[in-house]
Amino acid sequence: MLIINYEDCTGCKLCVNNCPFGAMFFEDGRVQVNELCGLCGACVNVCRRGAIHIERKQASPEELAMYQGVYVWVEFETQSGETKPRKVVYELLGKGRVLADRLNQELVAVVLGDESVSGLETLAQFGADRVLLCQHPLLAEYSTDGFTNVICAVIAQKRPSVLLYGATPHGRDLAPRVAARLKLGLTADCTGLDIGEDGQLVQTRPAFGGNIMASIVTPYSRPQTATVRPNVFNACTPDRNREAAIETIPVTLSKAAIRTRLVERKLTETENAESIENAKVIVAGGRGCQKEANLDLLRELAGQLDGALAGTRAIVEQGWIPHTLQVGQSGTTVGPELYIAVGISGAIQHIVGMSSSKTIIAINKDPEAPIFKNADLGVVGDGLEILPILCGLIAMEKEKLIEANRQGF
Amino acid sequence: MKIVVCVKQVPEVTNVLVDPINGTLIREGVKSILNPFCEYALDHAVRIAKTNPGVEVTAITMGPPQAREALLRCLELGADSGILVTDRKFAGADTWATATTLAAAIRKTVPDFDLILTGKQAIDGDTAQVGPELAEILALPQITYGVNVAFSNNLKRVQVEREVERGYEIVDASLPALVTISKGEVVRRVPSLQELIASRKKPIRVVNALEMDIPEDQLGLKGSFTQVVKVFPPRQKKSGQLLQNIDPEKAALEIYTFLKNAGFI
Amino acid sequence: MHEIYSHPAPFAEFAAVKCVQGYEHIKADYSAYLTDESKISSLPFDFLFFPRSEAELAAIIQEMARRNIPMTFASARTGLVGGSVPQKGAMISLERLDQVEAVYFDPLAEEWRIRAQAAVSLKSLASMLQHKKFALMDQSEDPFIQRTLAQFKADPNYYFYPPDPTEMSASLGGSVVTNASGARTYRYGPTRSWVRGIRVFLANGEFLDIPRGKYFASPAGQFVVHDSKGITYSFNIPDYNLPKTKCTAGIFTAPQMDLIDLFIGSEGVFGVVTRVDIGLLKHEDKLSIVQFLESDEQAIELTQLLRENKHLQLDFLEFYSVSALNLLRERQAREPSAVGMPSLPKEGCSALFFEMSFDPRSNTMDFSELEETLSKAGASLDRSWVGYEPRELDRFKVFRHLIPETVNEIIAERKKITPGLHKLGTDLAVPDENLVEMWHLYRDGCNASQLEWLAFGHIGNNHIHVNILPRDIDDQNKGLALFASFAQKAVALGGAVSAEHGIGKIKEKFFRMMFTAEQIDQMKRVKAALDPHGLFNPGDIFGD
Repeated sequence: MLIINYEDCTGCKLCVNNCPFGAMFFEDGRVQVNELCGLCGACVNVCRRGAIHIERKQASPEELAMYQGVYVWVEFETQSGETKPRKVVYELLGKGRVLADRLNQELVAVVLGDESVSGLETLAQFGADRVLLCQHPLLAEYSTDGFTNVICAVIAQKRPSVLLYGATPHGRDLAPRVAARLKLGLTADCTGLDIGEDGQLVQTRPAFGGNIMASIVTPYSRPQTATVRPNVFNACTPDRNREAAIETIPVTLSKAAIRTRLVERKLTETENAESIENAKVIVAGGRGCQKEANLDLLRELAGQLDGALAGTRAIVEQGWIPHTLQVGQSGTTVGPELYIAVGISGAIQHIVGMSSSKTIIAINKDPEAPIFKNADLGVVGDGLEILPILCGLIAMEKEKLIEANRQGF
Repeated sequence: MKIVVCVKQVPEVTNVLVDPINGTLIREGVKSILNPFCEYALDHAVRIAKTNPGVEVTAITMGPPQAREALLRCLELGADSGILVTDRKFAGADTWATATTLAAAIRKTVPDFDLILTGKQAIDGDTAQVGPELAEILALPQITYGVNVAFSNNLKRVQVEREVERGYEIVDASLPALVTISKGEVVRRVPSLQELIASRKKPIRVVNALEMDIPEDQLGLKGSFTQVVKVFPPRQKKSGQLLQNIDPEKAALEIYTFLKNAGFI
Repeated sequence: MHEIYSHPAPFAEFAAVKCVQGYEHIKADYSAYLTDESKISSLPFDFLFFPRSEAELAAIIQEMARRNIPMTFASARTGLVGGSVPQKGAMISLERLDQVEAVYFDPLAEEWRIRAQAAVSLKSLASMLQHKKFALMDQSEDPFIQRTLAQFKADPNYYFYPPDPTEMSASLGGSVVTNASGARTYRYGPTRSWVRGIRVFLANGEFLDIPRGKYFASPAGQFVVHDSKGITYSFNIPDYNLPKTKCTAGIFTAPQMDLIDLFIGSEGVFGVVTRVDIGLLKHEDKLSIVQFLESDEQAIELTQLLRENKHLQLDFLEFYSVSALNLLRERQAREPSAVGMPSLPKEGCSALFFEMSFDPRSNTMDFSELEETLSKAGASLDRSWVGYEPRELDRFKVFRHLIPETVNEIIAERKKITPGLHKLGTDLAVPDENLVEMWHLYRDGCNASQLEWLAFGHIGNNHIHVNILPRDIDDQNKGLALFASFAQKAVALGGAVSAEHGIGKIKEKFFRMMFTAEQIDQMKRVKAALDPHGLFNPGDIFGD
């Protein structure tokens, strides 16, 4: 409930002008609020007279204090026949370590899987104090029901203060299910995590397609849960000597509890293919590539730079590339060393998915394309004309090197 | 059989501008649209209804009164009726409170539903949470990231093709169930003039908080576990060099030199 | 009043103006300036200037005039007839004169207006109006600008600038000197109808401020210009009658005409427009409708019925011939996503595409007039596409532009086999009553010559673009001969040979078809009075 104290209000309209939702207006000589109000608090922050309040629920500190520890869900992936934690898990451990130290609490890795899980020792090396191991044959494959049951059980037993998931397809399938069951606050797709002065987890995420950032707290429910974007946080340098206690949690799970059934799996990529999430170099195309066949130019450049091809939502929707290669708000967040954007105008939804790239080169015909604001090198021109020449130059350079090697230099 | 499609009206975020001075959203002139993923969900529902006679499609939305426009769009695209869940008490709802309210509204208006479809996420919040939370509250099995939905021959199960990280899988669940949709047809459907005219004669039912049995403390902001404490503009990266009015040959050479100097070649 | 005074601009140092010297240098580093959308190439020229202000522009004009160097003006270079492609001398790119200076309400006309510099693009203008955000003005400290801007923002309505030439990256100034038109000309008229005032620099380096409705030709058809040094230039306006159709061929004239109309559509041969005041119109939500029909003839019949029904106010009325849709259908089969629309109906259908005001929130839209008119023509309402959300309108717009794009692609492919092939397209408009006759001429002529052809475009203004896709040089020659006969017929019917593209450097032949030598001399006499040394835009309209 937004409450305006009209005795303190001077009618300066700062709040009206700052309302991100356009929910405040000045009528009949006073500031009023309509149903568009999202109770985001922008007006409270801007009011110089402190005339605006938001009435929110309070929870008792005693209740909250019963919950301790920063927990990280360890998601596995299978690559080249080996099942090991995903890269984002190490990023979560890196950030989780900082949060746990700030809170002076434990960092715990929660592992769900069958007998085949491996790589547990790395969890400690990357910062975990303890590993909770939940093993069951039915946990070999991810299932919404199976994993929700087990995570809920862990929370009920262990009462963590914070639980983090990678904002991966599975993470985003699982986290809301758990949150709904246990009546927990959940913040999606965080790009910033911090501990506030009052010990609350401050979760920052892009909203409105990345046009604004919102900081969110979960003041009166525990654990505070969040999914976190891959490629945003850094993993810490592993300490090979660090070890953690492995605690096995007994799991009861029956087949009947899992209500969905996998009928068939059709993989469009081989298991060994690097996902764009982990690529060092990405060449990405947008609508400006005009047609599917033109993506071959991008593929060639990607090949020369040992990189991967990716693209915008627009070209995924056109069916030119599979959804697995989509960069952006509704696709994958990437953070390569080099990102070359060809024919991408740079809608904010795309920018949020690639802005953590170390170096960005953008080629676009429109000099006003927003992508240029993010580019280290921007070229106003037609990528379809430039790329063949560029590939030629790189090929020549490579030939020179090969020639030089052959001649024994 | 009954399919409920949960939809959301969203600002056309591709058009949202941010005021460079105070960092707030410029809402002037930004139109609202039916969230694209919700439109995909609706398309799937209508397609099922067309191939299975007797299937009824209801579009439901929670939002301010103007969210009715999103329902109108659904009716144009083939939904049979619409439900507008609106009340000032819903303001400030986070995903949990939204899912709780939607669940109550569905129990109230279409208690005998067989399938619920939602978009995988809304393009304004991008949380992708309401679908799974709604499934949990209604105790339904969920299948996320659906791209194709079909009923089994005996109409007891639903089979869904869904996107996974390296491709697709086909998953099946017993009905009733909830499926979130991430893709529709390559080209979005376009209604005909006939459908547009007919849509304005289809019913839209309005439901408010009073009509549903949810305690007030589960509604809107009071029912939300998360609270937004600060809104601010994203950090702008300092832009680098911009080359204009140059030939493709010269442009290629500039990029090549840049790549070489940065050690990528 | 038929007498007007020109004023000197503030002083600026010529030497301080950004200038690229030498053709080799321009060619190497500024190659984009060697052509425009006509794709014709410039001849060597010596200077490329980028004035930052009107003062700098005046300094350039004076210096060039002193050295007797001709000047070609350009801003967005989106013209289709090479108007801004230099043939010699200097090129002056106005691209830095790109500020919106004011938005204000004219109480007499009860109209919101924008005052902007010539190089403001129509695209950015549209975006500023859509969001009511004007970068420079928002920070202005001028109390007048601040006050009117605040009023504009407080107005609950949104406004738009009605002319919408297809090419939205075009500049405002360019669209004024070419009197640009587009689909919406059907309802709102060409650019001319929305220009409320201009500032124009003459070859003497001074400028005229011409608001609409102040300076009119004397009953004898005379205008007199006095400059600040006491020199007087006087001239008579031409006395021919222009077609009553859309027309961009030749200089505008009318008894006791407004001086402003002499410069609008003059392709910059009399002066260079640096600042424009334009009128705005209240924005309304629109519904786009594509109605599929059984044949080209049915489309023409429906066109006439839609025009006759005065209860229906359409923003535009566009045509796709059966052959045009066949082409799109083939493209759709090849690249479904490029067309961006659901599957086109079966072979052998044509379509009309129109737009009307629409309240998406209303439950009680009355479509009865439209339904009645459509059924009178035998059209079926379920064979149509409609859209009104902004992103849907954009999608329809893309579809609208798809034909020329597809034709260009096909020609480009054929060119690889037969160099020298090029697209043949008409730009003819005829009066309403001759639509059917003209259509028969197009259809029968193209079919008799066994050419591959299609037709699309502004049928509401009887301005159909006929495109011939030559398969070989023989086809091309047949097409050229056919087009000359089409143009002659259009002139005979009282139509225009160039309804929207202008004359520039490539349509002089058609121009001479429409005007007699004496009439052309009348135009040249106006030019000789205002630009006695022929320094502005050499080669445009009149050839060399």
